[in-house]
Amino acid sequence: MEFHKILVPVVGTEADEEAIRLACRLAKRNKSKIYVVYVVTIKRTLPLDAEIEPEIKKGEEILDRIEIIAEEQDSEIETDLLQARDAGPAIVDEAVERGADLILMGVKYKTRFGQFYLGSVVPYVLKNAPCRVILYHQYTT
Amino acid sequence: MNSNWQPKPGDRIFRPRRIRHYRLRRVLGVPAIFSAGYGNVGSSIYYALGIVALVAVGATPIALGIAGILFIFTALTYAEGTAMLPEAGGSATFARHGFNDAAGFIAGWALMLSYIVTISISAYTIPPYLGFFWVPFKESPIIGTAMSMGIVTFLMTINIIGVKETSIVNIGAAIVDITTQVSLVVIGFILLFNPPVLFHRIIDNWPTAGNLILGIALASIAYTGIETMSQMAEETRQPEKRVPRALIMMIIAVLVIFAGISLVSLSAMTPQELASEWSRDPVAGIAASFPLAWLTGILKPLIAILAGTILLIATNAGLMGISRLAFSLGSHNLLPSALSRVHPRFKTPHISIILFSIIALLILVPAFLAADAFKNMGTLYAFGSLLAFMFAHASILSLRAKKPELPRPFKIGWNIRIKGREMPISAILGLAATAIIWIIILITQPYSRWVGISWMVAGLIIYYLYRRKKHLPLTHKTKDIADLQ
Repeated sequence: MEFHKILVPVVGTEADEEAIRLACRLAKRNKSKIYVVYVVTIKRTLPLDAEIEPEIKKGEEILDRIEIIAEEQDSEIETDLLQARDAGPAIVDEAVERGADLILMGVKYKTRFGQFYLGSVVPYVLKNAPCRVILYHQYTT
Repeated sequence: MNSNWQPKPGDRIFRPRRIRHYRLRRVLGVPAIFSAGYGNVGSSIYYALGIVALVAVGATPIALGIAGILFIFTALTYAEGTAMLPEAGGSATFARHGFNDAAGFIAGWALMLSYIVTISISAYTIPPYLGFFWVPFKESPIIGTAMSMGIVTFLMTINIIGVKETSIVNIGAAIVDITTQVSLVVIGFILLFNPPVLFHRIIDNWPTAGNLILGIALASIAYTGIETMSQMAEETRQPEKRVPRALIMMIIAVLVIFAGISLVSLSAMTPQELASEWSRDPVAGIAASFPLAWLTGILKPLIAILAGTILLIATNAGLMGISRLAFSLGSHNLLPSALSRVHPRFKTPHISIILFSIIALLILVPAFLAADAFKNMGTLYAFGSLLAFMFAHASILSLRAKKPELPRPFKIGWNIRIKGREMPISAILGLAATAIIWIIILITQPYSRWVGISWMVAGLIIYYLYRRKKHLPLTHKTKDIADLQ
């Protein structure tokens, strides 16, 4: 399988760091382009273009960290900060706009009421993605 | 940068942050915009019929019809304005660009009043519908008003926390709402419609001229929702196409359904019944009037649940709308930034949500005792909304006069030439009509006169003090879209 454009949505967990390392390894094979996005979700009581400084700062710090990891892997990535009502549709929309042929998401192990829980964003992306999706599940002991 | 480059309408202006910039993801389509708008407009018929009947009596369908024509004018104005200026803020945005910041503030502040009253009225009319399940909700002003206040408090809390609202819920609610209303109209026409009876009920209960005009003013409450759709512009791609399209769909749906429901209501009951027993839950009155017991047995609980749900969504929409508007006004230095402060954990504008919820609760307080609280809320709403609509019409005309070259992806037709400029007739008539009706309300309605004027004066004082503190001129003119590069 060849991937020419890989979209990696990040939220700031260790799973993202592992996911970007994997993306870099995949990209090297096919000289692919990697796009990393952080989505700031805006509640409906605020306008969509509301600038929430702490959230933007947090997103930038996360993207900075991801850039450092990519540098360590000798890869070039393009990072972007998005603002949207929901992360899921924003990620799918970004994949469509970029023409991504792979979405690679790091998934942290989470439980809810004792059951493994993927959240709402991952199922949305799996259901609506216009391309292949790889979930990188972080191993925990 | 290409010197000939001009931003297209709908293009966002990005603020670069080092090598990164944030981009907005807009995902709403025409159905979601229509649903958000209809969710507001469609909900108001659940109380508008009754509130209009309080004064217009037999002429309720006429008042709604005339208000409907004004609604078309206003919707067209909003369609042009929103397509040209796809920002949150509605008439406040139009006024800021068409005149100056002070005008933008006045329009925005008037709009905020109408939003707050919408919250109060929507919450106030939920208990009467739920009275089907427990009569004291409808019969007891104490219990009913307390429940309304509880609803506002509950919504305030969930909006501070920031519970997700999906467009699927809005679309679903709009579909069920339209289906139910259309069904009521069709069934009503089949089972109840009697032209001679209807005619006599209208003619024999014709109001005075003053009450007819007041009825038209109150009927404007039936058409809340234009601002919601204008706010949705920032959430959709190609707002210059999608918002006008959604607005036109809404005009058609609303006028057809409201005309049908108002005629069916006067076929189902006398104007006196509509203005008294069923004033706060008129659609329940229609359902109760059908001559088939099995049908009323199905419809009455269905309407109770549906109306309660739709009105809850509308109350919530009002709360979200006003907090967005306050944030938008704050971001343009029209209101103190304290109202734009975001909760560090919940990421919601908690101060504006709490403040406006408290004001909505205060507006509900008279309902414990005063029999005319419902009508007073309606006239107060009309005071705010008509003032905001006046500014919207005036701003469109001003922009046509001063900036005819601005891109207008949706341009109102039926123009006349005044001093070489094309001026839309609908905006001229809309401005004249809303101004006249607003003045009549100001003169004839003491409650809305004093509360409304107090609100506006308080707002102007806040604006004056805030602008002085920020060393900003009071009538600073905001930049053109074309200047924003």
